[in-house]
Amino acid sequence: MSNDERDELIDRVADELRAPVTLDAGFHARVMAEVRRPAGRWQAAAQWWTEPRLRVSPLVGLACAAGLAALALLGARALERPLPRIEAAGESALATEPGTQVVQFVLVAPSAASVSLVGDFNDWDPSRTPLRSAATGVWSVNVPLHPGQHQYAFVVDGKDWRPDPAAPNAITDDFGSPNSVITVGGKSS
Amino acid sequence: MTNRSDAAIISQVLDGDVEAYGALVARYRERYARFAVHMLGERDDAEEALQDAFVRAYRALGQCADPARFDAWLFRILANRCRTAGARRTRRARTFVRDEVALGEASADHPAERQEWQEEIQRALARLEPDQREAFLLKHVEDLSYEEMAALTGAGVSALKMRVKRACERLRALLGEAQHV
Repeated sequence: MSNDERDELIDRVADELRAPVTLDAGFHARVMAEVRRPAGRWQAAAQWWTEPRLRVSPLVGLACAAGLAALALLGARALERPLPRIEAAGESALATEPGTQVVQFVLVAPSAASVSLVGDFNDWDPSRTPLRSAATGVWSVNVPLHPGQHQYAFVVDGKDWRPDPAAPNAITDDFGSPNSVITVGGKSS
Repeated sequence: MTNRSDAAIISQVLDGDVEAYGALVARYRERYARFAVHMLGERDDAEEALQDAFVRAYRALGQCADPARFDAWLFRILANRCRTAGARRTRRARTFVRDEVALGEASADHPAERQEWQEEIQRALARLEPDQREAFLLKHVEDLSYEEMAALTGAGVSALKMRVKRACERLRALLGEAQHV
């Protein structure tokens, strides 16, 4: 078989795949019904990333920066903590499916009243995976995850979405906002 | 169908006219349904991913930095949705189904041979690695440039070229086998 014939084969495949696909008759109506529904929590979160939230004068900005630097120094020791910790499935009752591994997510947030975890594993729903504060300002939760790559973020006080400051990897989501990335089982998707 | 530009429609939607978004749905639904169906193989999953992409795009419409390129922005959201749906599907039994409508149309003016050929293509496509399938579809079916593919997927041009090359090699091998059986 010559190279030309092989190229023809790929062209034939592409021609077939270019044929139009007919959608279910109710598709358009379903999309528009969903669009007309009031915004959910995740929309509010998406808006949070894009809307101007705070305007400060340069002087106040400098003061805030100095304050944050001081806080960073004070909190540096507390922040010396492991990355999301992965346990073998058998080590926790949380792991219920073969291959599942339990991951401990930790966030240091001394001033937070609540912290929850959102990710592709819980439909980005802040109500489903709350973190508990075992020590002052140290929030954690154990979550069983399937092998593969997962995106996640923390939600502080119900509205403040933050990537994990300890995670080495981040990825920009559909809306251009950074999410943290964790790979379970050494595989990436 | 309206002839107004995407940017004009988006401006109208952002001004509060929710129904105007229907023009964008009508404009792009079939075009992107093709990609979703071929990526996911399963029609229901494809429609779910496409619906999710349209709704997410609507919810985040204010974040569309270049409304004149809404199509590319929507495509990026859809590609992400397809990846997420595909990853979820690998944990279930994978069942690629035929596009009954397309096959029906095809068999109306061609004999059973063509239907068989379409099924072989779907089977071969399903056996590609997801990133190779995505690259092949974007390059050879959606006719995107490698630069456009890089912007859409976040992968580098050289990596995408390799994925397309491997996808073509795999398809040739799989379809060559099928034709010799």
